[in-house]
Amino acid sequence: MGRWARLVLPRTYMDRQRRAGFLFVLPAVAYFTAVYFVPLVESLVGSFYRTLPGGASRFVGLRLYELVFTDSAFWNSVWNTVKLLALSVPATVVLALAVALGLDRLTLRWRSLWAAMYFVPFAVSLVAAALIWQWIYDPVYGVLNHALSLVGLRPQQWLQSLDEVLPSLALVNVWARLGFDTMIFLAALQAIPREYDEAAEIDGATARQRLRHVTLPLLNPHILMVCILELIFNFKIFDQVYATTQGGPAGASQTIIPLLYDTAFKYFRLGEASVMAVFVFAVLLAVTLVQWRIFRKPVEY
Amino acid sequence: MRRTTGGAIAVLAAAVLLTTALAERTPAQAKKLVYWTHWEQNPEFNRWYETKGKEFARKSGYEVEVVTIPYQGYEAKYLAALMGKTGAPDFFNGIAHQWCGQYDFCDRMPPDLEKVWSENLPKYMRAWGQWRGVTYGIPIEHGNFQQMYINADLFRKAGLDPDRPPKTLDDWLAAMKKLTVFDPKGEPTQVGFAIRHKGHPVGITDKFLPFAHAFGARMISPAQDRATGVANSPEMVAALRFFGDLVTKHKVASLAFGNPEDAFGQKRAAVIFRESWYFGWLKKNGPDVSFRVYALPCGTSCPGAGNLFPWSNLVSKASPNKHVAWDFLRFISNAKDDLEQHQLQGILPVWAANLDSSYVKSRPDYASTKEMLAQPVPPNYYHPKSNELATAFGEAVVGVLYGKGQPKALLDEAASRMDRILKE
Repeated sequence: MGRWARLVLPRTYMDRQRRAGFLFVLPAVAYFTAVYFVPLVESLVGSFYRTLPGGASRFVGLRLYELVFTDSAFWNSVWNTVKLLALSVPATVVLALAVALGLDRLTLRWRSLWAAMYFVPFAVSLVAAALIWQWIYDPVYGVLNHALSLVGLRPQQWLQSLDEVLPSLALVNVWARLGFDTMIFLAALQAIPREYDEAAEIDGATARQRLRHVTLPLLNPHILMVCILELIFNFKIFDQVYATTQGGPAGASQTIIPLLYDTAFKYFRLGEASVMAVFVFAVLLAVTLVQWRIFRKPVEY
Repeated sequence: MRRTTGGAIAVLAAAVLLTTALAERTPAQAKKLVYWTHWEQNPEFNRWYETKGKEFARKSGYEVEVVTIPYQGYEAKYLAALMGKTGAPDFFNGIAHQWCGQYDFCDRMPPDLEKVWSENLPKYMRAWGQWRGVTYGIPIEHGNFQQMYINADLFRKAGLDPDRPPKTLDDWLAAMKKLTVFDPKGEPTQVGFAIRHKGHPVGITDKFLPFAHAFGARMISPAQDRATGVANSPEMVAALRFFGDLVTKHKVASLAFGNPEDAFGQKRAAVIFRESWYFGWLKKNGPDVSFRVYALPCGTSCPGAGNLFPWSNLVSKASPNKHVAWDFLRFISNAKDDLEQHQLQGILPVWAANLDSSYVKSRPDYASTKEMLAQPVPPNYYHPKSNELATAFGEAVVGVLYGKGQPKALLDEAASRMDRILKE
């Protein structure tokens, strides 16, 4: 009797165990298949078809890849995404680590209070947060320019400036993600046995040396995971851009996912949008695998 | 484990049976026609369909349910629903060359209704709701061409006569300079013109086109097959230079001001170009603004009554209720209902005979509407890829406003992109 047949008609205790295990994971597998795998395959297939007026599709081979990859607007959006990544990810990870190290030293009561405060932005809807920040950044009525005027500085254009729009969006990302990353680091720090730190201290290591040679190496898997999560989050940025700048001004904040969205739903070019989706998937997969292989070091407490 | 698995299956089966039994016992739902619109700025207008739907229900058994889709991103929701068919509206507010042209989602209008509307629409609107000569939709917004709203108080304060608006672009620019007020640091605290510079490039193109038309330029060729030599013509370059100079050279418009509508409503801008619906919006949101409405100033040409978005009511081809939807539209296709619905929201009616109703005559844009309708009809861009074309073009416009490049270079680049879009 084959493996699958024994799942349907179990004969032994182990068969029944396997069937129970299979049934337990089935909802998750079904969900993953319906929500992620099928659309992924659809996108891949769709990237070879052009939608014609009337809604019919025609196989065009690699023509849409050629169109997308020779389009300056596409590469402009990729470049903006990379710049946003470079501005957001290191700042978020370093700040989250610093905050977690600080919180780790507090008593439980204060730690919980501060941790909750840092976590609140993560619980806020990204669109709502983006709209709040849009008001904060408003050149005329915004609190940020008001604060600058109090210290005698000139008002800035923030989201309405070619040069300031990406740093401004990066700041929103850092604010939104800081709490989540901090929680991961804090949980990881709490899991590290205190004996390591105490042993290093007895051996005469300074606080900086203990951080560099004891804490950070033990946090390596978590730092890597947070970096990957931040990379994916920032690469897929959509809500903030769409709710605030819609890619403007003059395309200065046009990142890849909003461009994909416009291509699919504003210009109705589903094939080209599928090419972009495949590109995003391939890039994220490649970067994640590279990060995983190069930077991941096994850790044992 | 065997018992647990068996129990789970039994519970699941019971749940399915219970759901089925309940579904069978539920009384039949009231029959409804579902209407989708993205006109979130016109709630009274939208609600009228529901009110009228109750009256329609007495003879047909169908009420009307209005679903207002937020404008930002409405295309995605429409597309997903119309493609998926389930959850799609029976009829909807849309653009014929997109939903009936690029996609085949629309049902053809019955001949009797087509006759009614062709006899009762203002001439310039007859092409709306059509794609390749076939009529699909009923135009719903007369006056969605831009007109010049001026703040009468700010005009007087600047020594200008609000009853004598600038008629040419040169006079208009001179007036804008007088209407702009700077603080000691040289930043404008009040601008002459509320310029659209934020948001999607399609909207920015829409607001720039009257300037382009006033310079005798057009966005794409009359045959809608090319942009090079048209979108980057010397006339278009001159128009865009004029538009950009409003911000960069003359500083009579500012990028620091947010939404132009808000700036005008807050009396921080003296002039705005907007459509007839803005009259109703302003009455509600800026009731203390003393305003007048005039025809747009002319350059070498007059901008005329043109638009980028010819909104129509369209019926979904896949709807099982499409005949009822047409019946409903037939039910409201008369002068009385047209006037009632548009008056509720403070927008101009569509039915030609209503343009001389006392309501329209009492509106501040009555004379300007007549004046603009008397001007030559400007080019239209009712192409299935109008959104994409307008985006490529709008990137050049906004690029000039933000000092990203010179008009000629940016328009050359835009024209090349637009050619590619047209070719594909």
